[in-house]
Amino acid sequence: MPSMTESEVFDKFAQIVAKSLRIDASQIAFDTHLTDLGAESLDLIEITMETETQFHIFLPDKSILETAVEVFGPGILEKDGYLTEEGKRFLLCRMPEADGRAFDGEVALKDLQHYFLRVGTWVRMVQGLAQYTPAECAFCGGPMGASMGFRMKCAQCGLEITLRSGEELNREWVREYYDKEYRTQAGAPVSATAAQ
Amino acid sequence: MNAFGSLVYDSSVVQARLPAGCPLVPWPESACCRLDAFPCEPDVLADLILSRGERDHWKSMRAVEKRRQEWLMGRCVAKEAVRSLLVRNLDLHVPLTEIDIVPDSYGRPLVSVAPGRAATVRERLRPSLSIAHSHGTAVALAVLDPGARVGIDLESLTRRREDFESIAFSPDERSLLAALAPELRREWALRMWCAKEAVGKALGRGLSAGLLAFHITRAVAPSGILEVQLRGGALNQFPQLQGKSLIVYTVRESNFVFSAIIYQHYQNGAVRMRPSRQEILEYLLHKMGELTQDWDYPDPVSAESKLFTELGFESLDAVVLCTAIQEHYQTPMPFAELLAEIGQQQRDLSIDELADFVDTHLGGPAGTSGATRRVQ
Repeated sequence: MPSMTESEVFDKFAQIVAKSLRIDASQIAFDTHLTDLGAESLDLIEITMETETQFHIFLPDKSILETAVEVFGPGILEKDGYLTEEGKRFLLCRMPEADGRAFDGEVALKDLQHYFLRVGTWVRMVQGLAQYTPAECAFCGGPMGASMGFRMKCAQCGLEITLRSGEELNREWVREYYDKEYRTQAGAPVSATAAQ
Repeated sequence: MNAFGSLVYDSSVVQARLPAGCPLVPWPESACCRLDAFPCEPDVLADLILSRGERDHWKSMRAVEKRRQEWLMGRCVAKEAVRSLLVRNLDLHVPLTEIDIVPDSYGRPLVSVAPGRAATVRERLRPSLSIAHSHGTAVALAVLDPGARVGIDLESLTRRREDFESIAFSPDERSLLAALAPELRREWALRMWCAKEAVGKALGRGLSAGLLAFHITRAVAPSGILEVQLRGGALNQFPQLQGKSLIVYTVRESNFVFSAIIYQHYQNGAVRMRPSRQEILEYLLHKMGELTQDWDYPDPVSAESKLFTELGFESLDAVVLCTAIQEHYQTPMPFAELLAEIGQQQRDLSIDELADFVDTHLGGPAGTSGATRRVQ
């Protein structure tokens, strides 16, 4: 669904959240945190699954920061549960819309969890991933519909494609950042892309 | 008797006022507490149990009422668990408002108890704690050993969506489920989920490394025991747990599934050399020096110094020292009995005798791993 606007994504996502948590959609705003709405871990799984089904996307199973820590190795982006300066630089680059002052002073990872559970953060993530879900068949231009698992099938010619996972896309983004933004500047020895 | 077999229901005096019935691992120095309904109005409860900092948090919480109330219930059971733990093991009575629970930078709850008279007590008690709440029920598990990792979780079986297996579990894990009788699968899927949560909490990072980073390798249906191994991101965080199986206990009780783990990191193979008696004595003298650095003794503290008559210890100071010793050696010792015994006999205790006591209770021959004392 490449053509969806942010507010269209928001409305649809808010419906999913409202249904899952059995609350009124009017309680949900861009700035609301899912945990403040009463979402527990299994609710988040439920919301994830419903969002994947309805938007034809494959959400990552961990935050961009966790993926980045796996690529960068320990102690670079976070140390003892706090973001390092390098970690702040990384997140600001990834989320240019974030208020720069949000990262002033010490930023604990537990507070970031809260940020990652903001409705607005999810909406942008969904919108970003939906770009990779074609509405039309690349081969014949026919309409694409959901198929088994994370696959899409053209209703006209039957062409099947596998959706790219959010985790995979995140990892690619992190590796590119590592090579272009971090490695050159920090003189890190091995390219993240080459190392994999 | 429940599905745990050897597990018992906790029935301490503290919990008699609360709906009891939380599964508890038969661990000598642990306490578990459960609450299914508010014992009074939430705001009244908040005033009764919260510390000043916690009360500010309670008042400024912007979350929906359900979330706020569960947070408060969580604090309530956590404090009750810590209180009953201290009463039973150290005969220490602490008001709930003085049990402070503050999340660390990763969000793991850290307990800090100042057992009164902060001026003379230089060490606070720091038992390990885990809290869980869901569907209007809260549970907490506290362990005296500050070095222990504890995790507890609960989930309700009354959930609408039952196909979460496809996202929460790997193909291997799903085949563990498929091997179970069909009528057990839904419950065991939830047990497996709760086991992952408990391990995530015990290690202090939650499930941030991803659901598949906590891999269930074994499910023992009659006992409720699940074995979990770390993978991927979780293993990067805890490389020392490579290839180790973490044991999680689970139990079903009416519509709830509970899980609990108590992990002491030297347990599963980490070799720890047992200190010699001389090393123990040196440590005790060093610790005493630290504890009493500005007490202005006329003579230096020696192995013969007697704690109460010569060094001016009061029972609370002894408790602090004993806790520090247990923390240092990461081994629970029957200090409560020792202190009760010398109280009854109205005699004193020298540092030398204390070294004998520690030496006896560390277990295992000197120079070998003391890790086998408390295997699961």
